[in-house]
Amino acid sequence: MLNDLMNIILKEIKELVRDPKVLLPMIIIPLVMFPLMGFAIQTSMETAQQSIGETSIALIDQDEGSFALSLQAFMTANNFSVTHLDNISVEDALLQVQDSNLSSLIIIPSGFSVNITKGKTADITVYTPFRGGGIAESTRSSTVNTLLNIFESGILDQRIREGFPESNATQILNPIKSEDKSIVKGKSADVSPDVLFGLMLSQTTIMPVGMITLLIFAMQLAATAVASEKEEKTLETLLTLPINRTMILAGKLTGSIIVALVGAVAYLIGFSYYMNSFMGISSNITIDLAAIGLAPSLASYIILGVSLFMALLSALALAISLSVFAEDVRGAQALVGPLSILFVVPMIFTMFTNINALPFPLSIILLAIPFTHPMLAANVSFTGNYVGAIGGIAYMAIFTIIVLYVAAKLFGTEKILTAKLKFQRRIKNIPRD
Amino acid sequence: MSVAVEAKNLVKDFGSVTALDGLNFTIKEGEIFGLIGLNGAGKTTALRITSTLLLPTSGTVTVFGHDVVDEAAEVRNMISYLPEEAGAYKNLSGLEYLKFMASFRTNDKAAIGKLVDAASEISGLGDRLKDKVKGYSKGMKRRLLVARALMTKPKLAILDEPNSGLDVLHSVHVRTIIKRYAQEHKVTILLSSHNMLEVEYLCDRVALVNKGKVVAQGSPDELKKKFNAVNLEEVFGEVVGFA
Ligand SMILES: Nc1ncnc2c1ncn2[C@@H]1O[C@H](COP(=O)(O)OP(=O)(O)O)[C@@H](O)[C@H]1O
Ligand SMILES: [Mg+2]
Repeated sequence: MLNDLMNIILKEIKELVRDPKVLLPMIIIPLVMFPLMGFAIQTSMETAQQSIGETSIALIDQDEGSFALSLQAFMTANNFSVTHLDNISVEDALLQVQDSNLSSLIIIPSGFSVNITKGKTADITVYTPFRGGGIAESTRSSTVNTLLNIFESGILDQRIREGFPESNATQILNPIKSEDKSIVKGKSADVSPDVLFGLMLSQTTIMPVGMITLLIFAMQLAATAVASEKEEKTLETLLTLPINRTMILAGKLTGSIIVALVGAVAYLIGFSYYMNSFMGISSNITIDLAAIGLAPSLASYIILGVSLFMALLSALALAISLSVFAEDVRGAQALVGPLSILFVVPMIFTMFTNINALPFPLSIILLAIPFTHPMLAANVSFTGNYVGAIGGIAYMAIFTIIVLYVAAKLFGTEKILTAKLKFQRRIKNIPRD
Repeated sequence: MSVAVEAKNLVKDFGSVTALDGLNFTIKEGEIFGLIGLNGAGKTTALRITSTLLLPTSGTVTVFGHDVVDEAAEVRNMISYLPEEAGAYKNLSGLEYLKFMASFRTNDKAAIGKLVDAASEISGLGDRLKDKVKGYSKGMKRRLLVARALMTKPKLAILDEPNSGLDVLHSVHVRTIIKRYAQEHKVTILLSSHNMLEVEYLCDRVALVNKGKVVAQGSPDELKKKFNAVNLEEVFGEVVGFA
């Protein structure tokens, strides 16, 4: 009995793993595409950053006053290399800058220093050549602007200190400062609710998207597992062997689960590498979730894991049952494909609302979809609804048992062979001419 | 000699199509028995019911005394079925396929090895068994499958058109093997064919099937004598009236 099961599982895995249609999406996309994308983004970001470090600009100083000079000194102090183009016309300067690798051309018109001294707005023009160089180019031009802003606030600070010696620009410009805190589980948390909502949203989007990818992949595998036996004409032989047909079903399920889990791990590795290539660059706000009582507990991880596994099982059982009615692999995939609506609808609802708070019939319909439950379980550390999550797991278990029972029934009778023919005949009945 | 297979008043309806319409035949142990008839006569349906794949609408089939419906598990233990249109797992090698199939008969490594050796001898495919089935020709695939069906020396081998689509060379090989296995290993064989000449050479007894019924039954010689014909094709013509 157990030997038969192992024999089938091993064969399933061998067949799946050697099938390029399975292998390519499972290995190539996550383990090659993701890292390649990450690498491309990382390198271009790095090039962009390097080029920021060596900003060189051209300057036409028509003012030659004290502020024009101090601006130049400020730029040099900040590692800008400044080329003076004082003796040529603006038109010639533009041409020259376009053909060089200078980042910008800054023109300080006459009257610049006088205006600042009088407390008036002084003009300055920054030309940035457009060369189509992507992110790196725009970063360089924004570097110049940033520097000008710092210079500007320096002037502002100086001004303000003349009137309010104990203050500075930030304080004067922000006479009131409100501090945003949240109430989490009845306690004060030093973090704004916006940040918490953002965090929750990122969980309710990233988690389901990953989940759906895994579930759809697993379902396609399971559907293929039965349908390919029909397509390759191996099913009849298999069904006349002295093995319990439930074992065949169990072997196929287990084989698909194992391969799907390997695929999931590959996706996780690939995806986390991809995400990490951004992490080094963007300044990430880290919140100490544990301190405010929102850290995922061990229990919430276990609940999510079990919930996900049950969802996987019910998806596979559903896919296998449906694929009994298909005559070949393409037919099976076509039958299973529309089931993804059962993932997408709950995902949209969990993203935008609290499902339990929806009006009566809608909430029941959503909760009747087994795949809603792992998405709710993903948020259990935020919502604290452990009872609901465990109930969801129980519901999925019952759902899976019923579907598996139906699948086993289909497998046990001649339906598995004749169901396909009925399907075929229905198609034949469609008039062709 | 004891009875190997007995089909009584076998009827099978597929919706409005009646594939078998009161089919009767009896096979003795150790016999090579052939169902012959035109395409659509109901041969495959009869073999599929005997192999426990389909359920009869009415009537019974017993295999060595076991009912194919009520005692399907016992029947599956004694039979080996070669479907008319069969394939092997294309991503496995021929050897891996045989080993996979053999492992359902025994758990003993040495015994599995013996079955696989027997099969590779039957198939005559030699080193090509190490290649993936994907690359096999139609004839090679059929030889692999025939070998799979016979390697266990089942009490009853059910072979649906064992030579379908094979060229002369592969045909002769398969035919010789079937005959040898029946004689040397006392395997009872139930086969179907629409090639009457081949059946005449191969079978101890035949049943002519037309529109789901057996219209004549006996050894090829008996039938030829009875209908005063030179071969089974003529017998068939006499019986169903197309000559
Ligand atoms: N699964 C099925 N569904 C509907 N009709 C079928 C099915 N299998 C066979 N038939 C019909 O039953 C009849 C007998 O078919 P079959 O047993 O395959 O004949 P043979 O093997 O002698 O060529 C044919 O008319 C065929 O179309
Ligand atoms: Mg046939």
